[in-house]
Amino acid sequence: MFSETAKKELEEIRLKYPNARAALLPALYLAQREFGWLSPEAYEAVSSLLGVPKAITRGVGTFYAMYKHKPMGRNIVQLCTNVSCMILGAERLVDFLKIKYGLEPGGTSPDGQFSLVIMECIGACGTAPAMLVNDDFYENLTEKYIEEILEKYK
Amino acid sequence: MEKILLKNIENPNSADIAEYMKTGGYQSLPKALGMQPKEIIEEVKKAGLRGRGGAGFPVAMKWTFASADPKFPKYLLCNADEGEPGTFKDRPILEKNPHLLIEGMTISGFALRAEYGYIYLRGEYPAAKDILNKAIAQAYEKGFLGDNVAGKGFKFHLAVHQGAGAYICGEETALIESLEGDKGQPRIKPPFPVNVGAFAKPTVVNNVETLSNLPYLIGTGGEAYAKIGSPECPGPKIYCVSGHVEKPGVYELPMGTNLKDIIYSHCGGIKGGKKLKAVIPGGISTPILPPDKIDCAMDFVNMPKHGSMLGSGAVIVMDESVCLVKVCYRALKFFEHESCGKCTPCREGTGWLRKVLGRIENGQGMESDIDLLQSIAGNMLGKTFCPLGDGAASVVQNFIKHFRPEFEAHIKNKACSTG
Amino acid sequence: MIKVTINGKEIELEKAVTVLDAARSAGIKIPTLCYHEQLEKYGGCRLCLVEVEKMPRLQTACTLMVTDGMVVRTETETIANVRRSVLEFLLINHPLDCPYCDKAGECELQDLVEKYGARAGRFTEEKRKVPESLEDPVLVRNMERCVVCTRCVRMCEGVQGAAALGVISRGGHSHIEPFSGGKFECEYCGNCVSVCPVGAIMSRLHRHSYRPWQLVSETETICPYCGVGCTLVAQVRDDVIKRVVPRIGTPVNNGLLCSRGRFGYEFVGSKERLTSPLIRKKGVLEESTWEEAISLVAKRLGEIKAKHGSDAISGIASPRCTNEDNYVFQKFMRVTLGTNNIDSTARTGYAGAQAFIENIFGQGSTANLIPGLANSDAVLVAGGDPTAVNPILGLQIRACARRGGSILTIGHVKGLRHYSPVELRPALFRETLALEGIVSALKNKKGLPGSNQILEAKLKDINTTPQEAAGACGVTEKDYAAFVDRLSGAATPAIVIGKEIVQSSGGNYKLFLLAAINYLVNGRIYLLSERANEQGLLDMGCAPDLLPGYRPLAYAEFRKRYETAWKTAISERPGLSIFGMIDAAKQGSLKAMYVMGENPVYNLPNSRDVEAALQKVDFLVVQDIFLSETAKLADVVFPALSWSEKSGTFTNMERRIQRVRKAVSREGMEDWRIIAEIARNMASKFHYTGPEEVFAEICKVSPLYRDLTYEEIEKGQSIYPYKGEPLRSTLEGISVDKGTGAVAASRFYLRLERPLFHSGTLSRKAAALVNIYSGALARISAADAVSLGVKDGDVVRVSTKIGSLELPVAIDGAVEQSVVMLTNNFEGKGAFGLAEYAVDPVTGAPVIDCNAVMIEKVER
Ligand SMILES: Cc1cc2nc3c(=O)[nH]c(=O)nc-3n(C[C@H](O)[C@H](O)[C@H](O)COP(=O)(O)O)c2cc1C
Ligand code: SF4
Ligand code: FES
Repeated sequence: MFSETAKKELEEIRLKYPNARAALLPALYLAQREFGWLSPEAYEAVSSLLGVPKAITRGVGTFYAMYKHKPMGRNIVQLCTNVSCMILGAERLVDFLKIKYGLEPGGTSPDGQFSLVIMECIGACGTAPAMLVNDDFYENLTEKYIEEILEKYK
Repeated sequence: MEKILLKNIENPNSADIAEYMKTGGYQSLPKALGMQPKEIIEEVKKAGLRGRGGAGFPVAMKWTFASADPKFPKYLLCNADEGEPGTFKDRPILEKNPHLLIEGMTISGFALRAEYGYIYLRGEYPAAKDILNKAIAQAYEKGFLGDNVAGKGFKFHLAVHQGAGAYICGEETALIESLEGDKGQPRIKPPFPVNVGAFAKPTVVNNVETLSNLPYLIGTGGEAYAKIGSPECPGPKIYCVSGHVEKPGVYELPMGTNLKDIIYSHCGGIKGGKKLKAVIPGGISTPILPPDKIDCAMDFVNMPKHGSMLGSGAVIVMDESVCLVKVCYRALKFFEHESCGKCTPCREGTGWLRKVLGRIENGQGMESDIDLLQSIAGNMLGKTFCPLGDGAASVVQNFIKHFRPEFEAHIKNKACSTG
Repeated sequence: MIKVTINGKEIELEKAVTVLDAARSAGIKIPTLCYHEQLEKYGGCRLCLVEVEKMPRLQTACTLMVTDGMVVRTETETIANVRRSVLEFLLINHPLDCPYCDKAGECELQDLVEKYGARAGRFTEEKRKVPESLEDPVLVRNMERCVVCTRCVRMCEGVQGAAALGVISRGGHSHIEPFSGGKFECEYCGNCVSVCPVGAIMSRLHRHSYRPWQLVSETETICPYCGVGCTLVAQVRDDVIKRVVPRIGTPVNNGLLCSRGRFGYEFVGSKERLTSPLIRKKGVLEESTWEEAISLVAKRLGEIKAKHGSDAISGIASPRCTNEDNYVFQKFMRVTLGTNNIDSTARTGYAGAQAFIENIFGQGSTANLIPGLANSDAVLVAGGDPTAVNPILGLQIRACARRGGSILTIGHVKGLRHYSPVELRPALFRETLALEGIVSALKNKKGLPGSNQILEAKLKDINTTPQEAAGACGVTEKDYAAFVDRLSGAATPAIVIGKEIVQSSGGNYKLFLLAAINYLVNGRIYLLSERANEQGLLDMGCAPDLLPGYRPLAYAEFRKRYETAWKTAISERPGLSIFGMIDAAKQGSLKAMYVMGENPVYNLPNSRDVEAALQKVDFLVVQDIFLSETAKLADVVFPALSWSEKSGTFTNMERRIQRVRKAVSREGMEDWRIIAEIARNMASKFHYTGPEEVFAEICKVSPLYRDLTYEEIEKGQSIYPYKGEPLRSTLEGISVDKGTGAVAASRFYLRLERPLFHSGTLSRKAAALVNIYSGALARISAADAVSLGVKDGDVVRVSTKIGSLELPVAIDGAVEQSVVMLTNNFEGKGAFGLAEYAVDPVTGAPVIDCNAVMIEKVER
């Protein structure tokens, strides 16, 4: 279920648009925050709050890469491996995360601390390689820097 | 050149409205509101402003179409989806100079008689979202947005709509679908958004950088503005350079700056003095150029003459250590991931290309694979619903066109010779 | 005039159409896959790409509109290559399991590849694999065969409006799924099956038991279920209906069907079908010969008539039988037996409501075209869910909403909930106030039109304040006013009335109020009809007070005409209504009853009472296709032929007369023939060689069907009155009985659920429908579930004064508080076993909304 705060937030968001349907993407973000991931229950909740049929809601949700369709670790490491990052060593960092933290792309570390999501370009090519941990940008990454960063989130 | 778009961004408080106003911000808006909407469009026309989102479409023309449509309300959408790999030119505006964009949008909104604006912001820019929301709140507070903008009786409301990770939403009709709460799949055109866009109303979609030109353009006037940059596409341009250069980053330069100069003078040349192997000049969808082809003015009109495109002005520089088969494979992985799935050639073709490139990369390619790649790409090019599929096909074609021996070597040696 | 040139051929067009349509009109074929004429344009598959002069890129013919002077080429080498390559792309992930696929032979992909190439495969990687989904009783999904044309999704969302399917994920991972990922849990219309070009979504019925090309015999006929009267095509192999499909271009349903129509045909082949006549001997029904049964019935009816008089006998006609059956039946009752004691279950709502409305607005005033609903700018729905009762009509309401029309509902209408309905949800027993409020408000807003003084005289005293009315609906006055505004602002409003209103206390008064609303907004009325030939049987005169063609028995001149035609005197005494018959049976004055194709013991409220009544009748004859609850009580049972085994006509709620045709054969006799045989045994001259001859007589004697022939009907647009006499429109005064006004005194009340998947006796024998909705449920609101301490699936005992049932609970968002909804569709668990009724003094319909209910949880 959506918390009362989330419901209120959604009502406010709803006012930004000429119809309820347009609030679907923000509503899915809210649901993801509330449920941790877009579970069937999350979709049902969004559908009933916005009056959008649930098969449609799920169709829309699964179209977008940033909505998660399985439970996630407490922190989401979103590492870019697109060309600019790749040529500056992003692949090595993927290997590093695997070896050091047991993080497979698309997987969650055994301790449930981190999930690793491989990203397409995140707009930090000038400071590649780069990643987002949850909502925070980290750029000019090295193995050592990653260690420092992840330490903060433990 | 004086900085127009990236003005003041080194200032840590540049995103704050007070700072912005201190340095001359929100002065063009009242001026614009004192003009007739038509006059503003006329200035934009004189300025010769072209869209900075990639296609370089003349802004005044688009605006004229939307203004001519009698339906109301009209919508102004700012394309802040910045998804083209290699591109990071809008981000500094969004994060460091949000009021420039807001002022630009408000002016544009007035010119279009649009009452509602949305900034379609890619989901991967969470920081920008907070910054924009804060800036919008400040602008409301100061009366630069709302039911009575700057006390001039003009109503303009602005909100941020956050995307959720789909490159295709940068395409304007997909963006509209996504704004309306649907999958970001392109729409059939015609009707064009200027007539039937967001919520079936006349809609203009412009890039962040495009709209951010407006305060300066209106401030100095179209004729003065047109003196900056190349005559066919005037104005300042943000080039964003990544990869193997000494000083990667964003560079605001006059439109039409030579690519070679960008790399060698502005960015300090190839990193570590290595040899240049290839340059992708305008984001990954634009044709790759070998080192001998980079002496060209970077603008919308000139680049096609050199076999590439300005695109988003995202220059990716690759030195000799880079395996281009791998880059090509990675690019196709991107296109496969981002194909929206609506049309057959792109949905099936991107995956197929990626698979064939993958086996070449793995050393399992066959001699016939290069022909196969060419043929698949040829079967896609020009047959897809939107330019995304064309982009995927042309990447493969251009990589092979300029670097065929590297592909052949990969297949023959069953391994990469680059290392 | 627009001129275009396609492949050198000049084509002139009246208006701009797509290049595809322009080409087709000139006989030029352009291959398509994602295109479907019933669906919104898509332009995704890219098969229809063509070259257009002055356009830099190839263009999709299915989306591009022609402009004057356009020059198009569709058969160049470039285009041939494009088609081949698109097909190659489609095949790279397509399993080549055609030998095993039921679609082979009518697969669009297969046909396209056969025609346009892509022979040798160049794709060497592993294909996408998706397991077959068999979680559903009627549908099967094979997503690896899917070509992502999204026709099913566009059908489901954009036409059917169920929105049960979505494209999940994107790019090469795109696949089509219902929300659950497995089971569809949808309206099971199967319209997705119709539009799927490949074998990705198919019907499970008769799976792998035929190949499409073996369905050599096809019969176009009319659906046996509801009063919409959809045309369907029964496709047959070895004399078994293998599938039922719709056809594009048919007048009512144009390529669409609902679950009952598409999947409900299996009762035809049920093992439980009666095979020979049965005669009760020493208390047990035993098989007999036709001769024995027929002469026994003739003899016994003759004796009873002689001994007790004609009016000691009554007959119940059937809304599932053809016009021909019903005509012969009423004639038999009137001519051979000499009584007007003939009625049907149309009496439970449709007949009385129609008579009431027609009395005000004239005969035929409820005969409005179903597709026209989509063009209304507002539809008011009261008394039920049209999308469940008359699904194809319901789709037109959804279409209306999609085109921007307002949907206004009195009560919560589940099937319209995604169409932003403006709802008024009156509290229990307070509907009248809500309706009165609308009438008062409209009166004030629009004034009286002045065209109907009798009606207007009655409106004088209706002065319910907005406060009262809004209060009755639990909404603010502003919301209430908004509802009225939408209605009063409409230019072409329609009012759709369901049985729940008719069967509620004060039903006739509510009908009057709805009629008044209709009058004030200048709308048109649709009466939902649950049975395929409910209208037809009334047209045929299967009513105690009406002769064929709706001629009131009360008028001597009308009687006279039929007396001349039938060469017999007709009793002038009006007969008993169906409820009158039950009462007479109970009292012992009714000695014999003849039931044709009806199951009153099940289909009338207070079924136990009905059963007891029929047990008292000395001689009960039942004609049916199953040994129904009623047949079990009979002295003689005749096995009848079902709808698909005989020919004739049905008349739908629009009064469209349509041909029912024989699709499969079976030994036995049509209902009318059995009756004619008995009549002949009773010395009446009933000599018909076939249904056509019966129909010829109908058209001779009934002014409504005058001069009509089967040939004329085949042309498709036979809507009554057919070359008929002017319709009677005299207003003979409006009688209204408000009743005493029921009030909510009990915690719970019984309400009838009218589900999409069932319709009584027939659907219970259709395996597919039973599999979709397989057992009786007690539906209650979530709030009541909490207060009762029960959850979904818990078993409860539901009791009324006259009976009780144990059933699992289903929590249902569409059920109002204090209501228990039960269906009357499951053997031994029928809602009518719990429902007492009173008869509405004006419409003659049973009032069943006052049954107080107790619910207790059954501890296991
Ligand atoms: C696949 C695709 C992706 C695109 N992505 C972007 C983008 O990220 N940002 C952008 O501004 N324009 C993007 N565009 C261009 C837009 O469709 C559109 O032309 C632009 O927003 C118009 O603004 P402008 O005229 O100011 O450039 C993209 C186009 C395509 C076909
Ligand atoms: S709407 Fe009625 S007539 Fe039409 S298919 Fe369904 S049940 Fe049959
Ligand atoms: S039929 Fe035109 S694109 Fe599919």
